Amino acid sequence: MVRKSRGRQKVEMVKMSKESNLQVTFSKRRSGLFKKASELSTLCGAEIAIIVFSPGNKVFSFGHPGVEAVIDRYITRNPPQNSGTMHLIEAHRNATVRELNMQLTQVVNQSEIEKKRGEELSQMRKAGQSQCWWEAPIEELTLPQMEQLKVSLEGLKKNVTKQAQKLLIGNSGPPQFFASSSSGVFFPYDRKAGGFNPNMVLPQYDYNNLGYGRGFF
Amino acid sequence: MTRKKVKLAYITNDSARKATFKKRKKGLMKKVSELSTLCGIEACAIICSPYDAQPEVWPSPLGVQRVLSQFQKLPEMEQSKKMMNQESFLRQRITKASDNLKKQRKDNREKEVTQAMFQCLTGKSLQNLNLMDLNDLGWMIDQNLKEINKRFGTFQTATTSQMAAASMAGPSGEHASQRAEVQTFEVKNDNMQRQQWIVDFLTPQEPSGIWWPG
Repeated sequence: MVRKSRGRQKVEMVKMSKESNLQVTFSKRRSGLFKKASELSTLCGAEIAIIVFSPGNKVFSFGHPGVEAVIDRYITRNPPQNSGTMHLIEAHRNATVRELNMQLTQVVNQSEIEKKRGEELSQMRKAGQSQCWWEAPIEELTLPQMEQLKVSLEGLKKNVTKQAQKLLIGNSGPPQFFASSSSGVFFPYDRKAGGFNPNMVLPQYDYNNLGYGRGFF
Repeated sequence: MTRKKVKLAYITNDSARKATFKKRKKGLMKKVSELSTLCGIEACAIICSPYDAQPEVWPSPLGVQRVLSQFQKLPEMEQSKKMMNQESFLRQRITKASDNLKKQRKDNREKEVTQAMFQCLTGKSLQNLNLMDLNDLGWMIDQNLKEINKRFGTFQTATTSQMAAASMAGPSGEHASQRAEVQTFEVKNDNMQRQQWIVDFLTPQEPSGIWWPG
């Protein structure tokens, strides 16, 4: 198996030789470093400041509650100020951070669900391909196979159009399939194949916002 | 080393929090050090906690001084351009994660629709699909037809160029036999396909066959 990245491999602790790799490594590791720092402050309430200079001499910094604040505290050796206002400000800031962390957790969890779903779907496709030749990628099909597939697809398309017309005509009142976005672009199906009646009220939806997480059948 | 997922919130248990702090602080320092070495860059870290009277630093107090002066010599704008705190950093992460999620959903939807297309090709009913699904299905069919037609095009040019090459080269042994080979292969395939079609056609409702309209 050809590895794309060096994850889980031991890396020698010397300056990287390849300039291109060095830049990529810097980007990735800097991002990871800030992530760890963010987690440390969240989990343990620590105050942190990190400053790094890029190979191109640009400066990146991360700080909680703020880079300047932590630097000042460090330089002046002063204990943090204990005023009422400071506490209020800090409490508000902490509440915001708490919410953001929750939001982030949510999105990450949903991402994992989608990832699993994606893997399941790929598995299904792979399994299908070994049994049905028409499920293989088109570039792997022979000429007669493509011809046969084409005929079948065109037939299916006709039926899809028929069925869609049936639903449209049968629909009275607002359609129930409205997904999330109302600001969609109507996706023109196929006007040539005697598709939809343009005088009817057509649904508006955006291909990118359709039916997520919904099973098909 | 825990392989459990840690909840991204303040650890309320005092001893657990202290233990986590020690471990993660050590890890963080290690990561800064690695970044600095691997990329040959200047960096510093300052960590203050209720557990240490003195803030802990990397690489050393002198090293921190050096980096801090370098930092503070820069114009204000340069300093703040890539400066982040928890809020801005988390917002950035959320945006990236959301974009990634959108892409994943789009890809999964395409896979789903493709699956449905294959099922409908072998006879599954269109009854349970709503207008949105039908629209997506129609789009997917069109995409596939487009690709098939495109490949037909390349086959045409391939065979015409083959024939052109053959006629140009004259009845030379190599070209003629190559062409013949291609033709026999296609003919053989045709026969096999025809047999398969007939079998499928004659076997009613065979789920493994291609569904014929009408």
